[in-house]
Amino acid sequence: MKRSLLGRIWPNAAALVLALGFVFPVYWMFTTAFKPNGDIITEDPVWFPLHGTFEHFSTAVNAPNFWSLVGNSVTVTVLAVVFSLLIALCGSFAIARMRFKGRKGILLAFMVAQMAPWEVLVISIYMIVRDADMLNSLVPLTFFYMLMVLPFTLLTLRGYVAAVPKELEESAMVDGCTRTQAFVKVIFPLLAPGLMATSLFGFITAWNEFPLVLVLNKEPAKGTLPLWLSQFQSQFGDDWGATMAAASIFALPILVLFLFLQRKAVGGLTAGAVKG
Amino acid sequence: MKRGLIAATAVAGMLVSVAACGSSGSGSAGAESFKGKKLIVWVMDGSNPAQWTKQVAEDFKAKTGATVEFRVQQWNGIQQKLTTALSEDSPPDVVEIGNTQTAAYAKAGALAELGDLKKEIGKDWNESFNKASLVDGKQYALPWYAGNRVVMYNKKIWAQAGIKELPKTRSELFKAFDTIKQKTDAEPLYLPGQNWYFFDGLTIGTGADLVKKQGDKWVSNLGDPKVSKAMDIYKQYQAFSSAPKNKDEATPQQAEIFSKGKTGAIIAMGYEGPTAVKANPAIKDDIGFFPIPGETADKPEGVFLGGSNFAVAGGGQNQELAKEFLKVALSKKNDGQMVKEVGWSPKSPDLADAAKGNPAAEAAAPGAAKSSGTTPLIPEWAQVENTPNPIKNYMTAVLNGKAPADAAKDVEGEINKRLAQKQ
Amino acid sequence: MSVQIEDAVQNPAPRIGKGGAPPPGRRRGTGRAAGKAPYLLLIPALAATAVFLGWPMVRNLVLSFQNLNMKQLIQHLTEWRGFGNYADILGGEQFWRVTVRTIVFTSVNVVLIMVLGVLIGLLLARLGKKMRLVLSVALVLTWAMPVIAATTVFQWLFDARYGIVNWVLDKLGWHSMAHYDWVGSQLSTFFVITVLIVWQSLPFVALNLYAATTTIPKELYEAARMDGAGTWKVFTSVTFPFLKPFFLATTFLEIIWVFKAFPQIFAINEGGPDRLTETLPIYAFTEGVGNLHFGMGAAISLLTIIVLLGMTAYYLRLTLKQEEDEA
Repeated sequence: MKRSLLGRIWPNAAALVLALGFVFPVYWMFTTAFKPNGDIITEDPVWFPLHGTFEHFSTAVNAPNFWSLVGNSVTVTVLAVVFSLLIALCGSFAIARMRFKGRKGILLAFMVAQMAPWEVLVISIYMIVRDADMLNSLVPLTFFYMLMVLPFTLLTLRGYVAAVPKELEESAMVDGCTRTQAFVKVIFPLLAPGLMATSLFGFITAWNEFPLVLVLNKEPAKGTLPLWLSQFQSQFGDDWGATMAAASIFALPILVLFLFLQRKAVGGLTAGAVKG
Repeated sequence: MKRGLIAATAVAGMLVSVAACGSSGSGSAGAESFKGKKLIVWVMDGSNPAQWTKQVAEDFKAKTGATVEFRVQQWNGIQQKLTTALSEDSPPDVVEIGNTQTAAYAKAGALAELGDLKKEIGKDWNESFNKASLVDGKQYALPWYAGNRVVMYNKKIWAQAGIKELPKTRSELFKAFDTIKQKTDAEPLYLPGQNWYFFDGLTIGTGADLVKKQGDKWVSNLGDPKVSKAMDIYKQYQAFSSAPKNKDEATPQQAEIFSKGKTGAIIAMGYEGPTAVKANPAIKDDIGFFPIPGETADKPEGVFLGGSNFAVAGGGQNQELAKEFLKVALSKKNDGQMVKEVGWSPKSPDLADAAKGNPAAEAAAPGAAKSSGTTPLIPEWAQVENTPNPIKNYMTAVLNGKAPADAAKDVEGEINKRLAQKQ
Repeated sequence: MSVQIEDAVQNPAPRIGKGGAPPPGRRRGTGRAAGKAPYLLLIPALAATAVFLGWPMVRNLVLSFQNLNMKQLIQHLTEWRGFGNYADILGGEQFWRVTVRTIVFTSVNVVLIMVLGVLIGLLLARLGKKMRLVLSVALVLTWAMPVIAATTVFQWLFDARYGIVNWVLDKLGWHSMAHYDWVGSQLSTFFVITVLIVWQSLPFVALNLYAATTTIPKELYEAARMDGAGTWKVFTSVTFPFLKPFFLATTFLEIIWVFKAFPQIFAINEGGPDRLTETLPIYAFTEGVGNLHFGMGAAISLLTIIVLLGMTAYYLRLTLKQEEDEA
């Protein structure tokens, strides 16, 4: 297939401009984290952190309770994602593959559940957790975060499950697999991209959550990282450098996870799309 | 209702301490009964200086045998956090509450009555410091620290402009700004459009009231000519600055702008000096302070006395111990430390000595003593200042050219709605 | 990462045993009646939803009939207001104004996101390997940036005095923009918010669309090209019909996400100037949590769900209808 020179140049040029546009705010976050205070707010922008400093990173990491918060964030996020995947996988299987009474109602319920106004529900949730005497615990946080991502996870996985051709499963069973084996060996790998996609979504949602943990876990060592991240913006003006350093650290796990899963997700998806 | 609740918890607290005395077998409510206990104190980010904190913790331990844990709170979302915390079975024992917020929390029944304690330790406190702790004549908090704005100026730039004497009146100050504008390349003043507490000070200066009573309801009085006059003064100040008209002094932090050495002056709190030095250590020797000059030389400009109170949570489990803590934290020695270390205004005459040697505190003292005030001291007021603060919108609108009366009319509805909200 | 792309590649043909498969590892044989199996599989999801969402929602409904402010919360008082909160909200002008504004705001953003997202997705499909990697990485970086950091950076990019946007415009010769106040008026504030939201949302749509196009059989394209179809024609005759379920599902999600966008709008100007950029979630939060009128906030949040249901009714009905056809 031949294209004119122009036809070959413009997509690349457009892609380059877009890539720069998308990356710039991210670039600004990272570079600001390394700039000394005097270079951060300036009349003329300082494009490169020529006088790089790690001062902001040490401010960020040396904030009180940093490591407890890291532990809490990881625990809550990972558990919330794993639980929601397990629960959603079962549920999505039922909805995608089975016909039963009330199915449509249940489907509708999960679609509507995606619309839940969590920012305002905070106060109801707070009162429930307070009255149950469960404040300052990671347990309620984990379960509420799980539910924030469950509807999306379930509905998305439903699509993936439905996309797995039934014959695959059947032929595996003809080959002598049990149903469990058929599921583990044949269906599960095909669901991999779906599982990755949804776990990533879940991870980001739970990792970023702020309003709920703010009121539920007030003891300093029981919070999560978003509380830590917000502390560099104070009444007396923002510590931009530390905010950006903290944000960079905060973004890192997501970024790594993303770059790791993204390839698998897209790759796996193409593999799964080869039918039958 | 709320009195009932407080009374009930107070009785419960007494029972606990009585029981404790009984078990220790002695009549003294001294160190014995508190030994090994831990008191939780919430302070806001930036409120408690290091030396003061250390000193108070040591004194408290020595006096009561109990320990104190200061939990530093972030500003982001503090209202939700504090309100919910005070509704819990074991709230923080002592909380720092901004003086403009105290009335609302007291009305909500969240705070213990401290009248006796005030009589015991606060006989000589300046009335303007204590006013914000009183609701319906009852004492619901004790003033911890307060400060007022001063002019923080860059000595080098002022010398460059050839200004020899510090201005004593507003017109002299404006003349100085003019000179700086003409003779240097510096910005004479950095003043964003929404430095609302500076504006509040100006209304105190013109004798304006921000709210008035209509029947039995409080309503906005922003349309009052005295308020317009204050706003006009603000506008004259702001004309010397190219700072954004829609931002307040914290975004970006004005002390950091000042630290770059291209700003003649800012209207600042004493603690902003160290902030500037932190951003640029080279600026240290150039920083000076003087009181904001008023219309005439004999009285400094009206200033808002902003600060914080300590309150004891009405539902707290350790109220007696909390009172012991307040006795320690607000002792002459420790109050003096706050003045010396941060530059807060002296709360009582004895503390004047502590202010010497801290130029910011010295510059603040005349304003605090002669012409300070607060925001309207009604419980409904706290709502008005909630984000988005309509008065800040008013300020931006006037600075952008709207007539003060019209701008006041635009935000009046919102202010009245907030003042009328059910408690 | 992809959402419901599979709807597109769903193999409609052989669906053996409409009763569906029994759960893995439990019962053998394909019975027409699935019996209890689907319910057993759904119990964890339903129970969790009932406890961790249903319960707060019921509580929220109850609160919406109460006068619950700082005092009532602290003293654990219950004061009933009947429909008072609803009457106040629906009787005031503000709710209606905010509703209309939210619908317009959501529509504009969703259209922009979908159109630009599709264009970028198609561009990705057209690029060579290296350039595709570059653009994908840029998109992924954008996507991974924490919301709080993104909003902070954007606030700063558009700052009147120290913002890069104004600096660039000034250098490009548009000097009146030198100290332009982006958050001074309703429209320009919305512009900044829209740029932020679109920027954050595009990676999701673009990457998914690209992934989805790779599932379209090559033969379909070749056949269309042989018929002499141009780029636009190929899109309308092959890509779009094939990916229609994807478009519907993504639009549905984007409507929900944009409608519910909270930190972005709140951080840029807290719904200002003069509360003119408040959308329904911000309005509910400001009235409820910000002003400590929790009952009022609860009532607004419930009304908000109704509005959102209205906006997505088409998709909800379509999905349910499809299910019916299949069954």
